Amino acid sequence: MTSRSYQEVEFGEDLPEVEVDVSLSNVTRFCHATGMLAGRFMNHEEAREEGLPQAIVPGIMSQGLLVSLVHRWAPGCGIRKIDTVFRAPVLVDSAPRCCGVVTDKDDDSRTVELDLTIVNEQGETRVLGTATVVL
Amino acid sequence: MILDLHNHSIKSDDGRAKVENYCQWIRKRGLPIDGFVLTEHRQFDAESDYRGLEDRTGLLILKGSEVETDYGHVLVFGVNSDMLAAFDFGRVDLSLERVLREVSRCGGVAVPCHPGRPRVGMCAHVEQRGAVEGVEIVETLNGGSRGRENQVAASLAERMGYRGVGGSDAHIVSHIGRCATRFEREIASIEDLVGALRAGGYEAVQWE
Amino acid sequence: MGITAEELKSRYGGMVFDSVQVEATLESMLEFARACGETDPRYTDAGHPDLQAPVNFAAKYHGARMLPDDFPEFDRRMMIDAGKAVEWIAPIRPGDELTANSHLHDIYEKTGRSGSMLFLVHRMEFSNARGELTSRVDWRLIIRGGLA
Repeated sequence: MTSRSYQEVEFGEDLPEVEVDVSLSNVTRFCHATGMLAGRFMNHEEAREEGLPQAIVPGIMSQGLLVSLVHRWAPGCGIRKIDTVFRAPVLVDSAPRCCGVVTDKDDDSRTVELDLTIVNEQGETRVLGTATVVL
Repeated sequence: MILDLHNHSIKSDDGRAKVENYCQWIRKRGLPIDGFVLTEHRQFDAESDYRGLEDRTGLLILKGSEVETDYGHVLVFGVNSDMLAAFDFGRVDLSLERVLREVSRCGGVAVPCHPGRPRVGMCAHVEQRGAVEGVEIVETLNGGSRGRENQVAASLAERMGYRGVGGSDAHIVSHIGRCATRFEREIASIEDLVGALRAGGYEAVQWE
Repeated sequence: MGITAEELKSRYGGMVFDSVQVEATLESMLEFARACGETDPRYTDAGHPDLQAPVNFAAKYHGARMLPDDFPEFDRRMMIDAGKAVEWIAPIRPGDELTANSHLHDIYEKTGRSGSMLFLVHRMEFSNARGELTSRVDWRLIIRGGLA
């Protein structure tokens, strides 16, 4: 049961933006849940030793943040596919925003296509992707 | 006349946008552009015919390419069969000097894009190995730029006397129309675009 | 590069080179979802009748080997992660024993300044104990400089 019907969703509709928690403690929690225990995700110093400005958010977590954005917009919807490209690292302890917008509707399959992005405080797109969602 | 000179559709391996959806997005959002150019990576899409879509949407849809050279990526406008025979668009080790020469000889215009970007932009290569003869135009506003990349590009253009254009470098629907080029003259075809780029009388523009 | 992408594709394309069993635990799926800010109770409420793993949960798993054992050597530091696509086919439930089979779905190359760039699409397909396909994870990789 979805809270949004296919009919009421419009091409070009924005998903409400979400400021996401990429604090060191929350990213560390994700790393322990997934077994992704590399220092570059959980320790700023170790990340710097690898040439990064500070610790970075795992790509899978960035993808998960975008999945959550879609569910906030349409609780109960079915995400059939999510495809992300990691253009630049999302930094741990920064304040990124997850954004999305409806970019296509397919009446036959009753699916919508979404553009999804993670944008940093400077407005730069760090992660971009698309999702196919059944409503 | 405002055209977005740099965009990718699903024809590019990293493009995720259908051309119809670009048009729909431009109209739905009321973006102040009159058309756009599809510049697919390392190829020229000769097959696709967008005339019907142009008629339905009132937008000008032109086709170019984005090729890869020893000085970074380069937009190519005015692609024709002579040009396709002159060099292999699919390679990523083309010589910029040769691309500039052959594109010009075949009646087109070559524009190094996102020159301020590390590795794939021209500026760092110019610093290391010097400028290349034949560059007249660079992309000074690119919608995918991060940090100071666009400022670096604009500084290079000012220092070298290059003219500047703008393009979104969109790979997803909602990124089209972030940057574009405002022309003084009307453009209705790729030949018009090539002529206008050569003649001057345009500026790169950007919207928040 | 001594071997072309075409040869690599004919040798390895579609061949399952790795198969591992993994268990999707309740705790790991709930923690994954909560850390990602999930609000849909299907992913966060242990008592929900439709409780299931996050849509991209399968992307966290790695096989025992990343490439076929006899895949030509290359410098792993030259590998770039070019993105990940996850296809959801059926729900993964708490306690599901999943079989993850890996194969190279696509292989192609581009000639570059520093030799070749080799593009790989690494695909993992996950099935549950009933043999139902649950997820397909495509990982796009670029090897700068190609193979040694």
